[in-house]
Amino acid sequence: MPVPQLEPARPATLRLAFAPDLASARAVSVAVRNFLAEQGVSEKELFTYELCIAEASNNAIEYAMGPNRNLKPIAEALFTPSQIELRVTDHTPGFALPERIAPPSPLTERGRGLFLIQSAMDEVRYLRGTGENILVMRKKRRAARSPAGAPEQAPVVQLTLETCQRELTESRAKMAKMSEELLLRSETLSSIFRCCAELGRIDSESESFEGRLLVDLLHLTSADWYVLRMLSPDGRKLLMAAASEPDLATETISLIGADYTPSGIEASVAMSKVAARFDIRENSEQSEPLRAVGPEGAGLVCPLCFGGTLVGTIAVGRRVGDFPLGRLQDEVIRTFAEFLAIQTLNISRQRKEVRNRVVARELEIAKDIQHLLLPRTLPQMAGFGLAGGLQSAREVGGDFYDAIALGDDSLLLMIADVMGKGVPAALFATTMRGLLLGLAERSSDPAQLLSGLNRLLYKELSSVAMFITAQIVHVDLKTQLLTAASAGHCPPLFIPYGSHSVSSLSMQGLPLGVLPDTVYPQMSARMGSPAVLLMYTDGLIDARNSEGEAFGKRRLKSWLLSNSDPGTNAPEQRDRLVAELNRYRGDTAMDDDQAFLLLTEDRAAGTRAAAPGARRSRQSASPLLSPANP
Amino acid sequence: MKIENQGECVSVSEILELTAANSAHFRDEVRSALSDSSSLIEINLSQTRFMDSSGLGALFALYRATAERDGVVLRLLNPIPEIEQLLELTQMQQLFEIVRR
Repeated sequence: MPVPQLEPARPATLRLAFAPDLASARAVSVAVRNFLAEQGVSEKELFTYELCIAEASNNAIEYAMGPNRNLKPIAEALFTPSQIELRVTDHTPGFALPERIAPPSPLTERGRGLFLIQSAMDEVRYLRGTGENILVMRKKRRAARSPAGAPEQAPVVQLTLETCQRELTESRAKMAKMSEELLLRSETLSSIFRCCAELGRIDSESESFEGRLLVDLLHLTSADWYVLRMLSPDGRKLLMAAASEPDLATETISLIGADYTPSGIEASVAMSKVAARFDIRENSEQSEPLRAVGPEGAGLVCPLCFGGTLVGTIAVGRRVGDFPLGRLQDEVIRTFAEFLAIQTLNISRQRKEVRNRVVARELEIAKDIQHLLLPRTLPQMAGFGLAGGLQSAREVGGDFYDAIALGDDSLLLMIADVMGKGVPAALFATTMRGLLLGLAERSSDPAQLLSGLNRLLYKELSSVAMFITAQIVHVDLKTQLLTAASAGHCPPLFIPYGSHSVSSLSMQGLPLGVLPDTVYPQMSARMGSPAVLLMYTDGLIDARNSEGEAFGKRRLKSWLLSNSDPGTNAPEQRDRLVAELNRYRGDTAMDDDQAFLLLTEDRAAGTRAAAPGARRSRQSASPLLSPANP
Repeated sequence: MKIENQGECVSVSEILELTAANSAHFRDEVRSALSDSSSLIEINLSQTRFMDSSGLGALFALYRATAERDGVVLRLLNPIPEIEQLLELTQMQQLFEIVRR
């Protein structure tokens, strides 16, 4: 019984570093020869390998330069029964190894080494590195020889003309099949590479990359139509993405629905994530909605799936006649499907990323704009503190406030909410602040100011269907008299004179921009001591906690009452209110901006510092304690 | 290595190998053995088991030395098949008279 030849998993190896002189190089050649002899290499072969290792080792020594002359070259021999590889590592400057060295003239004394090596070995490579190079020499060996002593036996094959011809035909067929397969694979790859290259280059046309890829797919699989469907973002529908011809672009396919079982081959492939063949001639019902292909169509539906994530489906086939779907075509379609799925997922990830960045940037800009709307500093009056707070929700909103000192003893406070978001709201807010400053030159009467603002802003506001709610309060700091008018805004909160509870100054009044001429009522009241006044936008009382419950006016009032002690200044109280609002809201997202203005009296009235009389109050507040006539 | 000078014939034998390590020595020794009366140099390679390109180079150097002297023959005696193949591969067999006996 013949002993089977076993190929060792690793080659037998000899590795020798040797002193850089010719005698050592000679010793190394002999050692390599002996090593190969031990592996059973024949005498004739041994001469060849000894020659090659000798030539390479000699060169390693002869061509080393400078201090590299002292470095030890390394010789290696790797033996397997089917191949012998010799390597010599040198420290020479190296050289360019030609593909094929022509035989040197017999009339030279030197320069035969590389020619001999190339003639003797099957493959010679020179790997050049920095400081060292490796000459690799390989030679294939015939099928391992029989164990020593056993006579070599040629296989006994009766070669007849017929068997030769049959084998030739078979080989040709095999070759044709292999080259076809190779061609198909390489075209698949090049199509995918083309697509990748285009994806890298364009961003505007990324929508149509599928189209280009699918035309290649048709060409490669000899199909004549395709239908590409993509899963909707909610995962409930298959949306038409692309079709080779318009008549195949049928309606959306629902995958999930009440009392609805998805039917049709694309839906079932999407649900099962398993590819399926179909033939309309055999099963017309099941082929829905691909019946549009024609009564004799056939093809394959493949899920677009990557990492378990379904992206869509791809159907390809022929309108008439069999769709030749061998293992190879099947593989090509699956490769395309996988590539499409990966690309689609990548693109959607990229888009999401870009969108997130844009949103984040817009939010940043919005916050910047909104803070530009607010006065940088609020007037500080002797004995009183004034502080404003603003917390922006996601978008830029139109909440803002302002305060104008009218001399030393009175203040004009305004808080407003432009009903609308974004840059237009911000523009109105800026305009309104400018107008108020101008109007306040002539009047400090809140009702008159609101009427004036409405008159000036009406045209612009109504043309863009926006309006503004606003509250203006005049504060006489000496008499602690408040005079307020409201244009549809939340009433201000204060503690009236002689009272221990928080009241609001509630008045009717249309928002600015609703009617061209609006008359506003106004109301006055005296604050207690220490005085406290809170003007705010509806974002405060509408703020919701995790249970959806609004902060509410009552909670705001009771907060004000318990935080109205003298001794804390306005900025401190402002921070406390912001903290309270945030605590209440918890992790719940803010729906609306929150803005407020807080006026507090530092101490009891008697300790108030005398106001320097340098600036004259332009107008004293109305002494009325009841609703004033407009 | 043994060099015998027998009048017209310089005979070199007992060469175990001709390599980078010893070929320069071989070349110089043989060259210095040549005299005006030498008309034949016979290098007996029957014991030579190995030769590399330096060995070939040394043989070429001797060829050149004989070519300079008209009528001097350089004969290689009984090379082993591997060395004969080497001479053929490098087309050097045409420079020498290769004799088997």
